Amino acid sequence: MPLLLLLPCLIWISFFFLAPLAAMCWRSLASEGSSLEPYAVLFTSPLYTKVMLTTVKTASIATVGALVLAYPLAYVLTTASRRLRALILVCVLVPYWVDIIVRSFSWLILLGDNGLINRMLMRLGVIAAPLALLYTAASVLVAMIQILLPLATIVLFGAMLRIDRTLLAAAKIHGASEWQAFRTIFLPLSLPGVYGAGLLVFVLALGFYVTPALLGSPRETMIAQTIMVEASQLLDWSQASAAGAVLLLITTVIAALYNRYFSLDRLWGGTDK
Amino acid sequence: MGRIALGAAVLAIIVYLIFPVIVVLAISFSAGNFLTFPPPGLSLRWYLAIARDPEWVSALKVSLQVGSLSAIIACLLGVPAAFALVRYVIPAKALLSALILCALVTPPIVTAISTYLFFVPLGLNNTVLGLACAHAVSGTPFVVINTAASLRSADRNLERAAIIHGAHPIWAVLHITLPIIAPGIVIGAILAFVHSAHELLVASFVLGGLGKPVAVKIWSGVQATSDPTIAAASAILIGLAILTFASAAATQSLARRRNA
Repeated sequence: MPLLLLLPCLIWISFFFLAPLAAMCWRSLASEGSSLEPYAVLFTSPLYTKVMLTTVKTASIATVGALVLAYPLAYVLTTASRRLRALILVCVLVPYWVDIIVRSFSWLILLGDNGLINRMLMRLGVIAAPLALLYTAASVLVAMIQILLPLATIVLFGAMLRIDRTLLAAAKIHGASEWQAFRTIFLPLSLPGVYGAGLLVFVLALGFYVTPALLGSPRETMIAQTIMVEASQLLDWSQASAAGAVLLLITTVIAALYNRYFSLDRLWGGTDK
Repeated sequence: MGRIALGAAVLAIIVYLIFPVIVVLAISFSAGNFLTFPPPGLSLRWYLAIARDPEWVSALKVSLQVGSLSAIIACLLGVPAAFALVRYVIPAKALLSALILCALVTPPIVTAISTYLFFVPLGLNNTVLGLACAHAVSGTPFVVINTAASLRSADRNLERAAIIHGAHPIWAVLHITLPIIAPGIVIGAILAFVHSAHELLVASFVLGGLGKPVAVKIWSGVQATSDPTIAAASAILIGLAILTFASAAATQSLARRRNA
């Protein structure tokens, strides 16, 4: 019976998701000449090395940034009154459902030479000429962190809700200050949630395309942009597929790691590991 | 002291989150010709420009078709799967869950090129059906998660009572349990729809030529033009997001009232 219920879903995923991924991996091996050539290019060309380094660096900084900002937000969510909690959740969730293109576009307007931030700084007399805020690593990060922040907050909030708050009360009864109770009890108990949210955000950040393409400099291309160029402009499908296969492998390993420590089962009422 | 600092920090973070959304909304009502914030005056001219442009209208129509079709498929696949995952002990449940969810963490560019390559021999590229089938894969997890949540909180005794009184188990699920968990299914379907409407990369590979959906049209516009039409189109998508959120909240409170 359960198999019958799951079967349509599994067949669909196998056909429209797993089979295409297999087709991509197959295509990466079917280049002319030596069949492993695209992979050799991937691991030896300075272009790909640089792109991969930029991707990992950008994704790491964005992940840390999103976690640092999400932590106080999620903490306040756990302590706030019902009404305040609802208000903050709306502020967190509405941007989550605004298109990534739209959110990146908005930063394009804000950070431009004639944008709000430059004009404000000039009016305040801080600067004389507009700063080149756009098309830098910083503009990509500012937008990426804003885009990843809602998800990081929601995941952290979920993890923090599971922390037993009576432990904090117990610490305070025994004479701990608010800050001591937070630092010695709440913070350590919340760390697994932080790691979980971090893995999730990092995986998503690795695959970013729109934000770096719109706000970044061509010198700091991320891997998704390179794959896009290989496939749609250079029409080198073997190379694009090989890069795609490596990116897929990296994200699968991270997702498996996440599943190992933060069981996905929990969603269906399974027990925590 | 610490509380004030925390409050101020949280306020600043919320402004950082919300401000870009407000900027796009404000510019979409701009009376001026350029993307400046704050806008020089207010008007609806850029919305009218979209309504009068057949390309934008057709893009909205395509997105609506792809989104609804993929949301329907996601429900047909996801609701039974949620039943299986919540109610039965299944071997390798973690693996199955991972399989259902992994479409959400796979980099979109990888899904895009693999779907395109796979669709070439099948002739599914440049079809609304093809894109809907591909989007259904990433829509399904939203339906499964929300249906499973409703199913877990639903009172199974009502279903048992119907069965004890002679109802066929399948009749009991369809007429008792399904209406109870309907809000969860609806929220899942809405989220699947919005996900499809926003998806850019698979859409631009599979349906990037004529008859492109809104996300692809916005993306090509964002890179080329600098008038507020894009902001208006974006605002329509933001409206969609707010509508989604409001309807999800409404369905949820309706369900809570019914349960109480």
